[in-house]
Amino acid sequence: MLLSWIWLGMMAASLLYGCLTGRAGALLPAALDGASSAVSLSLRLMAGYLFFCGLMEIMKELRLPEKMARLLRPFLRFVMPTLKGEEARQAVTLNLTANLLGLGNAATPTGIEAVRQMDGEQEHDPRVRHALYMLLILNATGLQLFPTTVLTLRVAAGSADPNAILLPTLACTAFSTLVGAGLGLLCYRLSGRREGRK
Amino acid sequence: MKTISDLLLPLLILLLLLAAGWKRLDVLEGFARGARQGMEVAVRVLPNLAGMLCAIALMRESGLLGLLCHICAPVLTRLGLPAEVAPLVLVRPLSGSASLGMLETLLERFGPDSAVGMTACIVMGSSETIFYTLCVYFSGVKDKRAGYAALCSLTGMLAGVWLAGRLVTGG
Repeated sequence: MLLSWIWLGMMAASLLYGCLTGRAGALLPAALDGASSAVSLSLRLMAGYLFFCGLMEIMKELRLPEKMARLLRPFLRFVMPTLKGEEARQAVTLNLTANLLGLGNAATPTGIEAVRQMDGEQEHDPRVRHALYMLLILNATGLQLFPTTVLTLRVAAGSADPNAILLPTLACTAFSTLVGAGLGLLCYRLSGRREGRK
Repeated sequence: MKTISDLLLPLLILLLLLAAGWKRLDVLEGFARGARQGMEVAVRVLPNLAGMLCAIALMRESGLLGLLCHICAPVLTRLGLPAEVAPLVLVRPLSGSASLGMLETLLERFGPDSAVGMTACIVMGSSETIFYTLCVYFSGVKDKRAGYAALCSLTGMLAGVWLAGRLVTGG
């Protein structure tokens, strides 16, 4: 819904601004040009999705997410100290590995499942809320190892060195997750102290 | 550096295929099943993508996009980023389609190997649609307070954007 308002704002403001600055004649061609570039963009995306989603399905059949999930457990104990339930932990690790491997289609359902589990646990222990926030932060700061969509677009745009972004992107996503999760832990400590005082 | 990043994906894919062969999986069938899902995703996003790309094209042609970049330029140059990536950074937390459209527009105009193109790619690849993610994950729970999650995520994203600028301009 929010997005609808933003879209409305973008469209209306551009139309108004274009008319006021005497560029009214260029507006309709621009809109149609936008739609046609959506068609060519989605074809380019489809090429990338066909290839990478195909490989990801093989990853899933090898049960790679489940295997990697086991490696994540110590990390989980550190960033989500308040999460105790076994089922919720399972869902969280599966969600995080699906994100790491770029399995967007698998990440969303496991994430929703994890959130639902935590919501149930919250009735016994309100501190689980902090684990829920941490899950959201880890998801929202983009924990992806390989930016396959961006790679696809770089190749399609004729880049001389499409892979050049791999390591910098990894560094940036690691840094943003580190900062986000670090802040989250800090907030948890601060609010935990406050709740303890009451 | 270049050889490492060039080798990374081919080697991992090779490893994956060898492991699948070792386990006697029907690889082509698996690939085709995944590819079909990918194809459906591409078809499903097209209408949204079209809406967003029309809006972006209108913003560009009317001069509004340039105005927006101009307004955001002082903040971004202080962070060490080219002003042209401002619209991408602004829409990235809100909409996947809009940021994809924005990235494509930048790649077309400046080229994928320019400083603008590189920064845009790194920003796009290292961040997420924060608000969309929050909305989707909260869809199944009763208590919808996001607490400090949104603020921490946004700060994290800004830190990543800052580093992206550093990495591109710093060499």
